[in-house]
Amino acid sequence: MNFSNIDWLLIGEATFDTLLMTGFSLLFTVLIGLPLGIILFLSGKGQMLHNPAVYQVLSFVVNVLRSVPFLILLIVMIPMTRVLAGTSLGVQGAIPPLVASAAPFFARLVENVLRELDPGVSEACRAMGANSRQTVLMALLPEATTGIVAAVIVTAIALVGYSAMSGVIGGGGLGDLALRFGYQRYQTDVMIVTVAILVVMVQILQVFGDRWVAKLNRK
Amino acid sequence: MSLKKIAPALAVTVAALLGHVAHAATLSVAATPVPHAELLEHVKPVLAKEGVELDIKVFTDYVQPNQQVADGHIDANFFQHQPYLDSFNKEHKTKLVTVGLVHVEPFGAYSQKVKDIADLKDGAQVAIPNDPSNGARALLLLQKQGLIKLKDPGDILATSRDVVDNPKKLKFRELEAATLPRVLADVDLALINTNYALEAGLNPVDNALFIEGADSPYANILVTTEAKKDDENVRKLVKALNSDDVKAFIKDKYKGAIVPAF
Repeated sequence: MNFSNIDWLLIGEATFDTLLMTGFSLLFTVLIGLPLGIILFLSGKGQMLHNPAVYQVLSFVVNVLRSVPFLILLIVMIPMTRVLAGTSLGVQGAIPPLVASAAPFFARLVENVLRELDPGVSEACRAMGANSRQTVLMALLPEATTGIVAAVIVTAIALVGYSAMSGVIGGGGLGDLALRFGYQRYQTDVMIVTVAILVVMVQILQVFGDRWVAKLNRK
Repeated sequence: MSLKKIAPALAVTVAALLGHVAHAATLSVAATPVPHAELLEHVKPVLAKEGVELDIKVFTDYVQPNQQVADGHIDANFFQHQPYLDSFNKEHKTKLVTVGLVHVEPFGAYSQKVKDIADLKDGAQVAIPNDPSNGARALLLLQKQGLIKLKDPGDILATSRDVVDNPKKLKFRELEAATLPRVLADVDLALINTNYALEAGLNPVDNALFIEGADSPYANILVTTEAKKDDENVRKLVKALNSDDVKAFIKDKYKGAIVPAF
């Protein structure tokens, strides 16, 4: 294989764009998805703040956002993205749709992690007179930390994948490069290098995440 | 009716047919249905008056029309643009030639921020399609407007990396061609294919800052063989297709979706 088509500066830029997109999207995804997941859990059946109306509405919104194909979300969100990010283009323009797509996904993961916890924990807290806020902050979240960290890693990896599609709105990044040069212009070398970097990126995320989870488990 | 009785009638018919052929030559032309065959239908009566019977053969394939002309089964074809013909000639070792330009589906530059390209500020964001042929077509149009220079000025597969001179320091955004009308508000200038522009309510003739014209390499051409390029009937067809009447017909019927390239 001849790597003559490779413009390393371009690859570097694209790698940086992918990291920016994934990093910022992950930050906002956690900021929005974590509370959303906790509310979903608490308002669910048999939980402390059981409220069918709230649960049904949130659950529906989450399902809707999760069922819209990301490519379509990217396009239908353009007017909203413009308001939120100031532009619908580039890395900035890719972040709102990435968050809109990943936050509901992450919220579901958080809800599931909390549901898996031993119900005895919150019952004990309640018995000791803790209110729901105290129960969540003092007992549930610390108990669920490892599960939530694992969910963050799963979401981060999903975001790396989604960010590849942002080329549609000029988002840049490695996926865009692979598509434009590797696929459309038959520059197989560009395809191989970009995909290899993505594989390495995902591996690092997973290995790092697993270690973090293991460390938390030992405590 | 006996054979003897109809013989004279037959003779007359044959003579009439022969006579007809003698002064009305048939010219066969392969074309794709829209707008090519429609334009040919439009000039058919004009040519009939000049003694040329136009036989329009509609194809929906892009190889056969060239192959049939090269093999001499059809006189000419009208469906492609020059870059396509060049690559066809190269790949199939044919020597087909262009005898006339007819129309172009103009690529246009649109903006919601400036009314004139002279107002385009330094560092302006320019959105272009991200696929090889449309991206290059957009860059060639920008080059023609004097906004940029490409490493190879005729490169029909140029990318934004091939821009060697960019006095306004334009920043290129390469996006999916179909997305361009939607992001028009976010950029200073967007170069959009006519089909996508029309679907988004933009008309190349009324709304574009500039569009491709007769000198576009993507103008649709009438093609024949080296041997027939000076044929009288082929010449008549070129003349008919490049008439003011066809110009008016294009303007009237296609309302900017295609523009005359002559």
